[in-house]
Amino acid sequence: MKHAFIALIENKCTSCMLCVRECPAWCIHLDSHTVDVNDEGARRPRKVNVLDSFDIDYSLCMYCGVCIDVCPFDALAWDEHRALVTTNREDMLLGIDELGPSGNS
Amino acid sequence: MNRSFTWQPVEPEDWRGEVEELLRQGFNYFDFLTGVDCENVNGDPKCEVVAHLAKPDLSDSLFIYTHIIDELASISDLIPGATWHERECAEMFGIRFNGGATQLLLRHEDLGQPPLRKTTVLAARVLTPWPGGAEPEIKEDGRKVGNSSLRRQRPPGVPESWLKP
Repeated sequence: MKHAFIALIENKCTSCMLCVRECPAWCIHLDSHTVDVNDEGARRPRKVNVLDSFDIDYSLCMYCGVCIDVCPFDALAWDEHRALVTTNREDMLLGIDELGPSGNS
Repeated sequence: MNRSFTWQPVEPEDWRGEVEELLRQGFNYFDFLTGVDCENVNGDPKCEVVAHLAKPDLSDSLFIYTHIIDELASISDLIPGATWHERECAEMFGIRFNGGATQLLLRHEDLGQPPLRKTTVLAARVLTPWPGGAEPEIKEDGRKVGNSSLRRQRPPGVPESWLKP
């Protein structure tokens, strides 16, 4: 596996913020909200974090892989496809739609 | 090559003499010279300067190091290739190499504090909002859910004193 890209497997992410807080380059931005889920037979609703946005700024990322290491749910993984080559810094900020693992994107 | 590295402490005033002696002994291959800020390692406000010299056939090599406050005799006249390393060390750690080159290497002259000293405040770490400070558990009406207040509110690696207003 090439370490060319850090991919987000969106359905595994619980918005726990660990990657955001441990990133030494401060290049991950995450936004989420909580919703109540009513399970049948449960006495009170369960809180579930819903991921609203997840951005990696590849103009700052140094590919250290700390986020991948700290993720308790394996929602981040090394990937072979690369961040765009561009002359525009804003193009390096990739959101959920662009961060999927190769095959999905 | 001998893979177990040999480290030898040197007194600052013997630094040049030690290098001269090593060159005489055939340690002609100069690998590198760099600095280490020891301030938080043992409460010592000193900088360490390390140089690695080896025999050209790599049969033997030696790391020499010395602890200094802010100045050291230059070895760039003994080893011309050390000039680059000393200039880099000078601007990154604020060490004066007496008798060496004085012009800056990579840094802009207005940058101020040497960036690799632990006492240097990194402005970007103070001025940029930390993305990890966002609290996903705070609802729109300001109500907190979960144990968000138990979280560390300081980014890892950023000293507390930097964040005080």
